[in-house]
Amino acid sequence: MTPASAPSLEVRIGSLALRNPVLVASGIIGYGNEYERLVDLSAIGGIVTKTVTRHARAGNPPPRVVETASGMLNSIGIENPGLEGFLEVKVPILRRLPCAVIVSVEGEDVREFCELVEGVSGSGVAHAIEVNISCPNVGPHGLRYSTDADMAREVMTAIRPLTTLPLLAKLTPNVTRIAEIAAACESCGADAVSLVNTFVGMAIDSVSRKPILGTVVGGLSGPAIKPLALAKVWEVVQAVDIPVVGMGGITMPRDALEFILAGSTAVQVGTALFANPTLAEACVEEIDAYLRRAELTSVVDLIGALEVPPERGQIRAGRSVPSSGRRESGGAS
Amino acid sequence: MNLVACSVLENREVTPGNFLLTLKIPRAFSRPEPGQFVHLRVSPEVEPLLRRPYSLEGFFERGGIRAVRIYYSVVGRGSRALAAQPKGQRLDLIGPLGIGFTPRPRRAPILVAGGRGVAPLLFLARKLREKKRPFVFLFGARGARELYGVREIRGGRLHLATDDGSVGYHGSVLTLLEREWETGGHTPLTAEIFTCGPHGLLHEVAELARDRGIRCEASLEGPMACAVGACRGCPVPLRPGVPENGGRYPAMCLEGPVMDATIVEWGRLP
Repeated sequence: MTPASAPSLEVRIGSLALRNPVLVASGIIGYGNEYERLVDLSAIGGIVTKTVTRHARAGNPPPRVVETASGMLNSIGIENPGLEGFLEVKVPILRRLPCAVIVSVEGEDVREFCELVEGVSGSGVAHAIEVNISCPNVGPHGLRYSTDADMAREVMTAIRPLTTLPLLAKLTPNVTRIAEIAAACESCGADAVSLVNTFVGMAIDSVSRKPILGTVVGGLSGPAIKPLALAKVWEVVQAVDIPVVGMGGITMPRDALEFILAGSTAVQVGTALFANPTLAEACVEEIDAYLRRAELTSVVDLIGALEVPPERGQIRAGRSVPSSGRRESGGAS
Repeated sequence: MNLVACSVLENREVTPGNFLLTLKIPRAFSRPEPGQFVHLRVSPEVEPLLRRPYSLEGFFERGGIRAVRIYYSVVGRGSRALAAQPKGQRLDLIGPLGIGFTPRPRRAPILVAGGRGVAPLLFLARKLREKKRPFVFLFGARGARELYGVREIRGGRLHLATDDGSVGYHGSVLTLLEREWETGGHTPLTAEIFTCGPHGLLHEVAELARDRGIRCEASLEGPMACAVGACRGCPVPLRPGVPENGGRYPAMCLEGPVMDATIVEWGRLP
C-alpha cells in the first residue's frame, strides 16, 4: 500500500501559524521547563504559560487541590513571579522552547492589563497573548471581566492597540450566555477566544464539617467538565467568526477530536496531563491518524465538521436558537 | 527524574489496611535518595484521575533487576485502587522526585517515626547502615501490629512506643525523643533529627527541636497534582518571620517533601 502524503495539521490563530492544533493549557505546565523531561514540546503546537500578573503573587493558602469525582478542584490563586520576575527569569527559559509560546496575562484592572500586554509583547518571547479574564481564584475581581460583556469590551479595547500579537480572550463558563461575552471580545479585536476556564466548584469534608479547599470554593477541571465545555464551545462557535480554542476535560486523545468537530480551531490539554504527561503528543497522533483514516488532507477540514441533523440543531435548553448561518455546517454534502 | 513504566512484583497486605508494594523499574529510573518520592499512577484506568505521591520505603538492585518499595495504608480512593493492583500489573511513575534527607557528617542521626511514616526512615536507616554510621531509631505506632519493619532496622539503637502499650513504651514516641535527648548525651552540635509521621507528631517534634536548637528535617505529606513544580498545587506554609518565608509558599514537591521542620507553620498544614 502506498502511504498517502501526510495530512496537514497546521492551523492559524490570527497571524500565528501553529504546526498542529494541540496546546497545553495555562497553569498546567508552568513555563515549559518544569515538564521538559516529560513532554516532547517539539511534537505539540505550543504551550500557554502560567498566568503572569502585574505584581508577584504568593497564591492561596493550602489546601489548593483536591480530587473530586472525575475531576480536580483547585484554588492555586495564580502564584507567579509578576511581570518583572517573568521578564527576568521566565523569558530566557521560554526563549529556548521548541514550540509556540502563548503567554497568559491577568490584570487587576485595565491599567494592569495594558502594562502586562506591553511588557510581554516587548519581551519578544510570545507568539500570542492569552488574556485571562476568567480566573475564579483571584479575589474580589476574579471573574469580573469575563462575566460582564461591557467589562470584557473595556479590557479588550484598551489592550488591542498595544500589540500586534494575536490576542486570545480566555473566557469563563460561569455565565448564562457565554456567546455574548465571546462576541463582545470579537468586536473589540480579539483574534480568538479560549474556553473554557474552570467551573466554580466546592468540596466538603463531612467529618470535619469544613470545606476542603483553603479558599472554600475553587475551579473544577478534568473529565467531569468535558460535556459542559463542549456545549460552551458549541454555543460560542455559532456566535463568532474568530477561531475558538477549545478546552475542558480532554483526557483521552479522542476528546481533542470532539472539540475540533464542535468547531475548535485548536485545543488545550489541561488537568489530565498531570496523570498522563504524554497526552498532548497522543492527541496530535490521534488527529493525524483520524485524518488519514478519513482521507482528509488538512485538519482544517475537520474544524466544525460536526454533523448536526437540521431538526436537532434548532432546539437548545427548551428554546429555539436562531440559526446564525455564519458557519457552514460540515454536514452531508 | 523520568516517566518510567513499572510492574507490580508484589502488593501484599502486611497488616490489616497496610500494604507493601514492590515495583520493578527500568534503569532509566535513577538511584533515589531516602526521603525522595515517586508520583505513581495507581491504576491503569482513567480513575482515579490524578497520580499519588509516595515516599519510597526502599530501593533494591539485585541481579540486574531494579525495584522500589512503597509502604502505604488504604486511606482513600487512590490507595484503595492501588491495593487492588495484582502482581504483574503494569503501571507507570514519575521519579525520583523532590529533596530527600540530608544527614550531616559527624552528627548522630536520631530517626523519629510515627505509624506509616516509618517508610522513608527505614530507607534512611538502611543507607546509614551501609555507610556504617550508627543511629538512634525511635518508632511509635498505635499498637504492635503497626510497627512495620522493626526487624529490618539494624546497625542502630531501636526504641519502640505504642499508644496501647502492647510493645515498648506505653505512650508517645515524643516522650522517647525527650528521654533520648536528656540521657543520650546529645547536643545540637553533635546530633540531628529526621522525622516522618502524622503532621501532629511532626509539629511536636519540630517544637522540641526549635526549643533546643536542634537541626530537624521532616518529611511532609499532602495532595499533589503535577509533582514537578509546575502547578503550584502543594504549597507549604512557613512560619512568619523566618528568612525562608519572604511572602511565598515553597512547593512541597520541589523544595520538599523533606524540609527543615522548624520553619514550617504546622498549624496551617492540613
